[in-house]
Amino acid sequence: MYKFYLSILLSFLIYNTSSAQNALPDTKIKSLQGNEVIFNSFGNTRDTAVIISFWATWCIPCIQELNTIHDQYEDRQKETPFRFIAISIDDARTMQKVKPFVAGKGWPYEIYLDVNSDLKRALNIIDVPHILVIKNGKIVYQHNGYVNGNEEELFEILKKI
Amino acid sequence: MNKLRLILPALLLSLIGYAQKDIGHFSGSFDMYSQYYMKDEKTGAVLPQDKIGSNNFLKLDYSYKKFTAGVQFEAYLPSIAGYPYAINDAKLINKYIRYDQQKFSLIVGDFYEQFGSGLVFRSWENRPIGINNAIQGVNFRLAPLKFLDLKVIYGRQRKVLDYASSNIRGIDANIDFSKINAKTKVTGGVSVVSRYQLYTGPDPNFPSTVNAISTRMDISGSSTSLSLEYVNKGKDPHEANGYDQTSGEAFLSHLTYTKNNFGATLSLRALENMDYRAEREDMQSVGLMNYLPALTRQHDYLTTNIYVYNAQAMGEIGGQLDMFYNAPKGSGIGGKFGSQFSMNFSHYRGHDDPDKLFSVGDTKYFHDLNFEWKKKWSEKWTTVFLYQNLFYNKLIIEGEPVPDVKTNTVVLNTIYKYAKKKAFRFELQHLATKDDRGNWGAALTEFTFAPKLSFYLSDLYNYGKTDTHYYNFGGSYTQGGTRFGLSYGRQRAGLFCVGGVCRYVPAATGFTATLTTTFN
Repeated sequence: MYKFYLSILLSFLIYNTSSAQNALPDTKIKSLQGNEVIFNSFGNTRDTAVIISFWATWCIPCIQELNTIHDQYEDRQKETPFRFIAISIDDARTMQKVKPFVAGKGWPYEIYLDVNSDLKRALNIIDVPHILVIKNGKIVYQHNGYVNGNEEELFEILKKI
Repeated sequence: MNKLRLILPALLLSLIGYAQKDIGHFSGSFDMYSQYYMKDEKTGAVLPQDKIGSNNFLKLDYSYKKFTAGVQFEAYLPSIAGYPYAINDAKLINKYIRYDQQKFSLIVGDFYEQFGSGLVFRSWENRPIGINNAIQGVNFRLAPLKFLDLKVIYGRQRKVLDYASSNIRGIDANIDFSKINAKTKVTGGVSVVSRYQLYTGPDPNFPSTVNAISTRMDISGSSTSLSLEYVNKGKDPHEANGYDQTSGEAFLSHLTYTKNNFGATLSLRALENMDYRAEREDMQSVGLMNYLPALTRQHDYLTTNIYVYNAQAMGEIGGQLDMFYNAPKGSGIGGKFGSQFSMNFSHYRGHDDPDKLFSVGDTKYFHDLNFEWKKKWSEKWTTVFLYQNLFYNKLIIEGEPVPDVKTNTVVLNTIYKYAKKKAFRFELQHLATKDDRGNWGAALTEFTFAPKLSFYLSDLYNYGKTDTHYYNFGGSYTQGGTRFGLSYGRQRAGLFCVGGVCRYVPAATGFTATLTTTFN
């Protein structure tokens, strides 16, 4: 009988390794220094959850959300460590403002630009703000829009996963 | 039997595992915007023959290893009021297959692409304002050398639910000199775009092909960066430029500086005869091939969205300056909870000589000077204060022959977070002007119950001359990537931000229902 269980264990191992694929799109986005990064690579941060926030300099609720999380950043990091990536969908009209804007907010986030919405489209996101939580290469949570207190749910989820 | 016991489940499960791996990945979205229109003599909202307008978009994508394929189905039953085209139709319009590799990607079908800042070419989608100028054809991206990126496009532009009768082709090359040998990041770029549309008229010298060339350079250090772009467009007589026989030019520059808690950017732009279309007969927002956004602050309050500048493709010169400052928590200005300041100034004029790109004319088109102060007073209270001084040449921007509009606007936005997931927001706004339609006052309250519910009530009141209330109330329900909203009221055209999302809405009175969902 143990062989039976062993075989199940074995096949689970095969199953797990074969299904540990990364379903994230391999769309390219740019850092504020102009270097290209493949979005897919954010899924490789093993057990640390990655929070992805889609935002724009002209979107008030987006800025509220990023400000609120900034206020709690250190405390929340102590509770459950996470990586926070803010991807701006500002297009050629406002993308030049992103870098000074972020400096003038004092945000600690990793910032990227999705100038012609290639990534936003690949992830089927319609409006900003939109939050995704990625763990082990998979989207485990998402939320569209922001109202005060949404971050509570976000950090509750972070503790659970 | 024992062996079978050993092998069978292993085989079965690994098959499932294999299938799981090979099944690929599905994702998609659905986006509905529906309105029910009611008669309203006060606002002059035009009641359409069909009282319902409904725009629907279903997008599905499937990826398998290095391949991705997708479709977009659009249904306008009929299109909402204020949409750039009146459509009563549904169609599976965008389809594509993409193959991606690290240094190479190919799209066959409908695609979106942008060269440089889009000054010479941009194909993109913006559903609320009805822009989808995807190109149907071939898009090829290649990085043959580590410092070189190439993009090639060839195809025809989407026009409403069909395609424009012209061919567009283009090539774009970007060189990253810092990957060759440099400490500072220096990149250069060149794009060539060409549009051919059959000409059957009598003029033997009429250009059926119009070419445009862009050259660019970006230099960025640790705190300062500079970007420059120059575009030249060949002789391009068409409807929107009044069959002008001269060539077009554009110049764009951005200078950015950032330091701890401070950032500034100065943008300068000059445009001359830069309207570039897929078809000669296209007007307004139809058939745009390049992207000429208004380089001004993109506002998001009710009263700061009444007079919005629109870039003048036929000729303008001007620029804008932005400054952002963060006074950190615990600093003298920042106080216990921190404070943020921002300032923006933009100014645009006409040319003195319409054929000289850098000639500054006497006619002023627009200016906007605004200052914003955000302060968190306690764990519960946050306020945002905004002041704006604006000049708006309505004749140039909207074609309406009225005297120039000069306004002063103040906005106070207060957020009171009275429980962990409950907050109350209150906005008071006033726009003062003696010109055009006179003064506007506005108030908005919003109650939010995170993460699912929000309700709002707002009124924008034009008093003194028209005495019109633009009232609105509604709510929304959000669950993960799905959001449903319902509202009733009078709307004037503009960007409207409530319940956490910003959207452009056209003038109308009645009910609006929205549903958006993302699955991935």
